[in-house]
Amino acid sequence: MPPPFLTAARDALGAPAFAMGATFLAFGAAVAEAGLSLPWAVLCTATVYGMAGQLVLLGLAATPGAAVAPAVIAATAANARFLPMAVALAPLLGRSRARWLALPFIAITPWAAAMRRLPALPDADRRTWFLGFALASWSAAILATALGHALAPHLPPAVRAALLFANPLYFALLLAADLGRPGVRGAVIGGVLAAPLAIPLGSAWGLLAAGLIGGTLAFALQRR
Amino acid sequence: MTGADLALLLTVLTGLALRALGLALGGAVRPDHPLIAWAAAVSVATLAAFVALAVAAPTGLLATIPLPARLAGLAAGAITFAATRGAILPALLAGLAGLGFARLITG
Repeated sequence: MPPPFLTAARDALGAPAFAMGATFLAFGAAVAEAGLSLPWAVLCTATVYGMAGQLVLLGLAATPGAAVAPAVIAATAANARFLPMAVALAPLLGRSRARWLALPFIAITPWAAAMRRLPALPDADRRTWFLGFALASWSAAILATALGHALAPHLPPAVRAALLFANPLYFALLLAADLGRPGVRGAVIGGVLAAPLAIPLGSAWGLLAAGLIGGTLAFALQRR
Repeated sequence: MTGADLALLLTVLTGLALRALGLALGGAVRPDHPLIAWAAAVSVATLAAFVALAVAAPTGLLATIPLPARLAGLAAGAITFAATRGAILPALLAGLAGLGFARLITG
């Protein structure tokens, strides 16, 4: 196996896997609490693979007799960031067909790691690095979900809430570490300033609106 | 197939479609095209808004953590991050410890 794959997998199994593990553990427990099965929890993590959308889906779809369409639309809106993230990542993955292997793994954690690390790597190593990081963090997320589902009866709500907090805390630290990169500082300020717009819109649509408005304003100001 | 299963299947498909559309669009333009910089700005802003909302106005289970405890967690993480010159794992652990400690005090 080529070294970039292993280096990336090792990187993923540090802070990223811890932050994801904590969040997905809390998600697994929440699925069990909602009365849905272990396979549903694991499939949801493995295939939706975006925590905001997963939480919205669980909240809306888990109640018996719930309407399917509103749950799907809201979960998709909550994960709409996949689109701009994939656009920004695409040039770093090169033009060969093999870049499509990255498709199911485009999610915040591997994306943030890739945007920091890939520009410094030779073109030939970038896809392998991304797949190494992505597969390691994806496996950690799946394991944590299954563990959370099994441990649910032993995890009081206060512990699960603290585990869920690991995710925003981790992203706050990642953003702080990236403030020196071109374009990041403006977009962070834009996103924070636009965040209050999300409150009246609800968590799914609000995040989409705040990101679009804050990011577009930051982009426009930087190009002036 | 229950409603929850169908909702899961459809959400998986829409998520894959969003990622595929993004890869196709991003792969079709020059790497220095403004679309790429705009998409990166929107992604980062979404992440920043997510963090701001999770700390200041969370929903669901996160909302059961009192605001002072959320702020204490963020502050403990930030201080450790600065003190260790950007080490993320120690900062993350310190942040969670700060949150737990604040909850013990505030209840």
